[in-house]
Formats: sequence, C-alpha cells, structure tokens
Amino acid sequence: MAFISLQEVSYTYNGRKEAAVKNITLNIEEGEKIALTGLNGSGKSTLAKLILGLLKPQAGNIVLDGLPLGKYSLVKIGEKIGYVVQNPSQMLFNTSVFNEIAFGLKWKGKGKDEVFHLCKKYLEFFELWHLRDELPFNLSEGQKQLVVICAVLALQPRFLILDEPTKSIDTFRKKRLKDILQEIWRLGTGIMVISHDKEFLTAYGGRRIHMVKGEVVEDAGRYQN
Amino acid sequence: MRVDIRTKLLIVAIFSVLALAYQDPRTLGIILLLNLLTVILFRVPLHIFRGFKGFIYMYAALMVIQSFFVRDGEPLLQLGSIYLLTTDGVLYGISIMLRFFILVGSGLIILNCNTSELILALVKLRIPYEIVFMIQVGIRFIPVFMGELQNIFHGIQLRGVDLRRVYKRKVLKVYVSIFSPVIYSVLQKAEKLSILLELRGFRKSPTRTYYRDISLGKIDYVIMTLSLIITAVLVYAVRH
Ligand SMILES: Nc1ncnc2c1ncn2[C@@H]1O[C@H](COP(=O)(O)OP(=O)(O)OP(=O)(O)O)[C@@H](O)[C@H]1O
Ligand SMILES: [Mg+2]
Repeated sequence: MAFISLQEVSYTYNGRKEAAVKNITLNIEEGEKIALTGLNGSGKSTLAKLILGLLKPQAGNIVLDGLPLGKYSLVKIGEKIGYVVQNPSQMLFNTSVFNEIAFGLKWKGKGKDEVFHLCKKYLEFFELWHLRDELPFNLSEGQKQLVVICAVLALQPRFLILDEPTKSIDTFRKKRLKDILQEIWRLGTGIMVISHDKEFLTAYGGRRIHMVKGEVVEDAGRYQN
Repeated sequence: MRVDIRTKLLIVAIFSVLALAYQDPRTLGIILLLNLLTVILFRVPLHIFRGFKGFIYMYAALMVIQSFFVRDGEPLLQLGSIYLLTTDGVLYGISIMLRFFILVGSGLIILNCNTSELILALVKLRIPYEIVFMIQVGIRFIPVFMGELQNIFHGIQLRGVDLRRVYKRKVLKVYVSIFSPVIYSVLQKAEKLSILLELRGFRKSPTRTYYRDISLGKIDYVIMTLSLIITAVLVYAVRH
C-alpha cells in the first residue's frame, strides 16, 4: 500500500479553462525520495496543494496512509506531511524566530527542554541561531525561507514536501539543506522536492517526476509504476 | 443596452434611501420587487442571492426576540404569559429582512460593475482623486488579504493547531497569531505601495488621463428620469 496514492486526479482553478492538474495517477511509497520538476505553470505547486488537502480535486481520488484524504482534517494531514510553501513568508506568523520554530512543537505537547533543544539544533545547523530573537518578518528572503524549513523539519514529519526550497538561499546553506535532507531520508523520512535547481537536484538524486501542462510525462527512479 | 455607471449609482442611492426610509412591510415589499426587477435588468447573476439563505434563520430569531421583549401586537404563539410570537414581531422581522435584501440587491448592482468604470464615475462626480484612489486600492486588495488570511489559517493548522479544538484560554493567542502577520503585511504593502507610487509619478501632474471613458447617453437620461418618476409616484402613493 502506497503512502500517498493519486487516482486520475484532476484540478481546474475557478474561472480557468485549462486544468492545472490533468488526470494524474501516482503512487508514492513511504520513505521515498522524489524530485518533481516542470516548467513554470506546469502544475507542480497545485499537485502539492492537492496532496495536502488545501485544494479539493474535481475528479479522482487521493489516499493518504490508507485513508481517503477527505477523511482527514488539515491538522491530521499536517501531522503526517510537513509542507514548505513556495512563498514561505506566507507561513510566518510568530513574534520571534525562536517562537516560529517552537510553535508547532509546543502544540505537539513537547517539554520545554526538548523544544529548546530542537530549535537550537536546526537553527544552528543553518547558522541562524544568532537571529533567534528577531522578528521573522524582518529577515532577508533567504533567511525567512530557512526559518520555515527549520520549523517544518523540527516537527519531524513522516513525509516532507518542499516547494522550491533553494529559491533564494546561498550555496553554503544549499549544501547544508541537501545534507540534512539526505540524513533524514536515510532515517526513514519520505521527501518530495519541487525545484528548478539542476545542480541541487543532481546532488539530491531520487525518483524524478517531470510534469508538462498538468500531466506527468516522465517518471523514473527507484520505484517504477 | 449599455447603461452608464452613474445611472446605476443613482438607482442604487435611491433604493438605499427608500429602504431605510420606510418600515411598513408592504411598501418595502414593493421596493424589493422593483429592486429585483432592476437587478434582473442589469443582468446581475442571481445565484449570488443563494449565498444569503442562511440569513433567513437570523430573521426568524429576530422575530422571536422582538415578540418576546416588546410584546406589542396580537400574540400568535404563547407559552403561559410569555409571548413567543406576536403580529408586530413578525412584521418587524419581515421588514428587516426585506430591507436587508433590498440593500443586498443594490450592492450586487454595484459589484457587477467594472471597477475602473466605478472609479472613473467617482472622479467625474468631482470626488478628489486621492480619495478615489484609496477606494480603488481598497477594492483591489480585499482578495489579496482574504488569500493571505487563508494561507495563515492553513499554515497554522498544518503545523498542528486544531482551530476547532483550541482551549478557551488560548483562543486569543491563536487569533493574535493569525491577525498579526496579516496586519503587519498590510502595513508593509502600504509602505511599498507608497514608494512605488512615487517612483511611477503618482500626482506628478495635476490631471491624469484615463484609458477608458464613460459617457451618459440618451438611454441613461431616460432611465434616470424614469427612476425619479417611479420614486416620486411611490413616495406619493405611500403618503396617501
Ligand atoms: N490561485 C490560482 N488561481 C487560478 N489559477 C491558478 C492559481 N494558481 C495557479 N494557477 C494556474 O495553474 C497553473 C499551474 O500553476 P502552479 O502554481 O501549479 O505551477 P507550478 O508548476 O508550481 O509553476 P512554478 O514553477 O512557476 O512554481 C498555472 O497555469 C497557473 O496560472
Ligand atoms: Mg509552483
């Protein structure tokens, strides 16, 4: 049984003629490493939002961990899948960088020491610990992006979807990101990276899914359908 | 039929004043009928009305509340000496409901207009351009802020907060989390917008040109005159 399974899923945005996602059938196993590529507007982010239940498909079924996606609340989906949006400043809503990362951990009921330890671990890994008391809105674009990535990584989800994670981050931190993704993948976390960054994707590896105009035209890698 | 937006504005203004001026359900009923006719003539998609179905319950509740506390009119439904529903209560509820739908209909007429025409109409009505511009920006940014609010809602839930099950103690904290970034981004956007406006020469010369133009045609004068006559007749008929 696949962890995420899409059956002939289609989605058309309100007022659009063309479907953004067309008749996609896809199986994603637990612990798989996936790179999703495609030109601008090919439907990658839309596919991610469908998997996360932020958009409801007009046709087709999505099954997450054995249950139809419609049976989950957003909170329950968030417990299984961590998601970093393409425009991460949309995800910042706390009064300090530290709280931004602690937010989800506290709601998970983690103790003070553990929250502190996890926040420190991830912020230090990306050399952002000195920014812990800053207002997240005032960070640079790349810093904002890394803070959101840290916040989602700290929750240690079973599956991780990152939409354009390398968009505005520097070479040094890009390498760090690749390293940590590699490490959590080795420890069993599934990952889907949406990216245009050839260099990053080459280093990252994994199953390659390529989309053109809302359809999957190429799917090659570890698991083949 | 191309009707100038100023004609529509006049009609909307008349309906709004009439809706607030009268209380009698029969008069309001006639006004609503005229309003619906106008709405249809202006080709407003009627299905939007369906979104307001939920309000009916609110008016039913209003009737009961009014009957219970004001106790005027004949009782229709009573429990011992407690009035649950009186004739006056029912009439009151119906009036408020009719009034509401007249205002909704008027709102729909405006909503169905092209925003840039609306702006142009305001300019031609000699409203200072700065104020018109503020209205324009306001209209333009409503969907942006709605979208932003939704993103934050999604973000918060995906990071583990069940908004339906938040403890009372923490509700305030969560709502602060939701609104503070939106307000912050509004302020940031306003600042950026003001810089951008200056960069692009906002108010550089005292007048500006418009790509579109609106003009009053024969049909507009006919419609305006007709509306005024109908209004006068209605006002006169109600008086006598
Ligand atoms: N909110 C929206 N409303 C209407 N159409 C949308 C919306 N979001 C995306 N689209 C359209 O859906 C299609 C797919 O968009 P999507 O964001 O999924 O592309 P993408 O593959 O993520 O592109 P990019 O590489 O630029 O991020 C595009 O044609 C886009 O214009
Ligand atoms: Mg995208």
